[in-house]
Amino acid sequence: MTLSRRRGLLHHSGPRAAGLAAAVTVLLAAVLLSLLAGAQWFGPRDVYAAAAEFAGSDTDRVIRYLRLPRTATGLLAGAALGLAGALMQGVTRNPLADPGLLGVNAGAALAVVGAIGLLGIHSLTGYVWFAMGGALVATVVVHLVGSVGRGGATPVKLALAGAALSALLGSVTSAATLLDLSTLNEFRFWVVGSLTLATGGIVAQAVPFIAVGIVLALALGRSLNQLALGEDLATALGTRVTVVRILAGLAVVLLAGTATAMAGPIGFVGLAVPHVARTIVGPDYRWILPWSVVLAPTVLLLADVAGRLVVRPAELQVGIVTALFGAPLFIALVRRRKLAEL
Amino acid sequence: MAVVRKAVAAAVALSLLTACGGAAEAGPSTDAVTVRNCGLDVSVDGPPERVFAAYQPAIEMAHALGLSDRLVGTAFLDSEVLPEYADAQRDRKYYKNLPSREELLSHNPDFVLSGFNDVFSAAGTDGSFGSRKSLTDLGVRTWIFSPLCPTADGKGDEAIDPASVSMDNVYADLRDLGKLFGAGDKAEQVIADQQRRIAAVEAKVKGADRPTVAIVRPGLEGGGLTVSGGPDFGTVLIRQAGGVNAFADLTAKRNVKISAEEFIKRDPDYVLISGCCDATLTEDRTRPDVDKLLANPAFANLKAVQNKHVVPWLFAHHSAGVRGAHSTELIAKIIHPDRVK
Repeated sequence: MTLSRRRGLLHHSGPRAAGLAAAVTVLLAAVLLSLLAGAQWFGPRDVYAAAAEFAGSDTDRVIRYLRLPRTATGLLAGAALGLAGALMQGVTRNPLADPGLLGVNAGAALAVVGAIGLLGIHSLTGYVWFAMGGALVATVVVHLVGSVGRGGATPVKLALAGAALSALLGSVTSAATLLDLSTLNEFRFWVVGSLTLATGGIVAQAVPFIAVGIVLALALGRSLNQLALGEDLATALGTRVTVVRILAGLAVVLLAGTATAMAGPIGFVGLAVPHVARTIVGPDYRWILPWSVVLAPTVLLLADVAGRLVVRPAELQVGIVTALFGAPLFIALVRRRKLAEL
Repeated sequence: MAVVRKAVAAAVALSLLTACGGAAEAGPSTDAVTVRNCGLDVSVDGPPERVFAAYQPAIEMAHALGLSDRLVGTAFLDSEVLPEYADAQRDRKYYKNLPSREELLSHNPDFVLSGFNDVFSAAGTDGSFGSRKSLTDLGVRTWIFSPLCPTADGKGDEAIDPASVSMDNVYADLRDLGKLFGAGDKAEQVIADQQRRIAAVEAKVKGADRPTVAIVRPGLEGGGLTVSGGPDFGTVLIRQAGGVNAFADLTAKRNVKISAEEFIKRDPDYVLISGCCDATLTEDRTRPDVDKLLANPAFANLKAVQNKHVVPWLFAHHSAGVRGAHSTELIAKIIHPDRVK
């Protein structure tokens, strides 16, 4: 791929790999900070004790039952959202694509509200399946609607279909929550996006879904590069465009659906992190994808730590923090690069 | 039976009306009254006849003042009404959620009595009837319970004056509403009953250790917890019952969202799990949320959990209004079982 060397701050494989290693180090630091910071600050020794010699003290319990699941949620949901955004931008060749744009979050959200309101499912372990089912149905509907007419599923038609379906599903969700206040209350807090929703049990349950999604996504890097040349050229180069789209859609449903079920719909991360990765390594998806996996959880965990510290003793949910810090950063990105050049 | 009761109530209301009219100064506008409520003058030419009561505290206060038959609509109960008002409430037009402004006006009300402030706030979470001024312009008088006075019309819970949160303001409301509705005698009866019962509790718990009490809203936590902060009326009720609100120092809002870690750090002696919002709600229905908190491994070391001092409770109990005495007694029984039976 010659085009991969055209742009990006890091031009060769060596610096990119070294940079990625540095990014992993920063991520590990963010993980540690997430374990140490909060209503009380702990030392690394406390974390080790809670993990290795759990004695049931307050500190042990806070670390094991609150901060560990929270940090793990940030890691998993962050990686999932960053990858899902990068995949969607690659597949739709739309620089503003994210799990929100193609109706994935809206589908997951409506399914969760239905699970709470109609079926009385109140445990988070129940949400996963509904969120993924909703995400899948929404993705399929968007693809079907976007494929109607001449030219098949063009990026623009997909994006339009996604926007329309998101609006439709969003209004149904609003209507459902307004009809029943107890549902509304529960959903109102769920809807913002928070790393504290998931318990250790649900984190463990989410791991296989997200792991499969990550492997599937990383395997698609080369195909996304070919797709970036345009559908016709990609087909000429031997890429089976429809298969790539279906596999990418499956990965997005796995990743975004599971992340939404764990943490609620968190905005901005899936949209902006792939752009940051692209700024660093250029348009080669074989590098954008792994960088997104590392950068997105770093951003999410640091945003969550900020949310714990700035309004103590209250907390800002991470979805609010990512929106607060993310929107200006994204505007800066838009101003710095011509986004249409994907 | 209901017919007889209605007739009696109407007769009582009528006799109160005439009593008030007789007591007022002679002149063409004998029944004209102006009282001030949360910074606005509320003027009536005579006792309002078509009252819309929004939220539990307003509905219960209307019944307590003997205004049941003047209620053209009621909305948004947080739990069952107190047993003494159950019969009167059964016949009333009831909305589960707040109706729209248009639906409200279709009842042609001349008075809107609200137990909370958000209903006149643009930022209201349950929908809004519009600002008080906008309703006054249409000839609809309005009333916010004084312990929830926002600092300006059109604002809500984010702007409660902490100094207004007191039982004295409940009494002041009863007196003022009594004036407006020509129900002064009934108001004085209610006030006397409240004062007597609260004084009895205060006498019993005097000198006792004052445990810390947290009021927690279940189902709203999103991983954290929503607790009653300083401006919540629960702070007053807990104090009267011989305790201290564990989160009284958080004064930005009535309902404060805190982290689970902060809750552990405060380690309150008692936790009241405050169930809400359904017209058929009773304490028993919050039992699953009590069990959930007791079973949470992160909370296992809390004093309240170890001593099983996590108790079913109702949001309706800690709203400002005529439940004040009832709720004070209930809390005292929970936190001072040796002194208050």
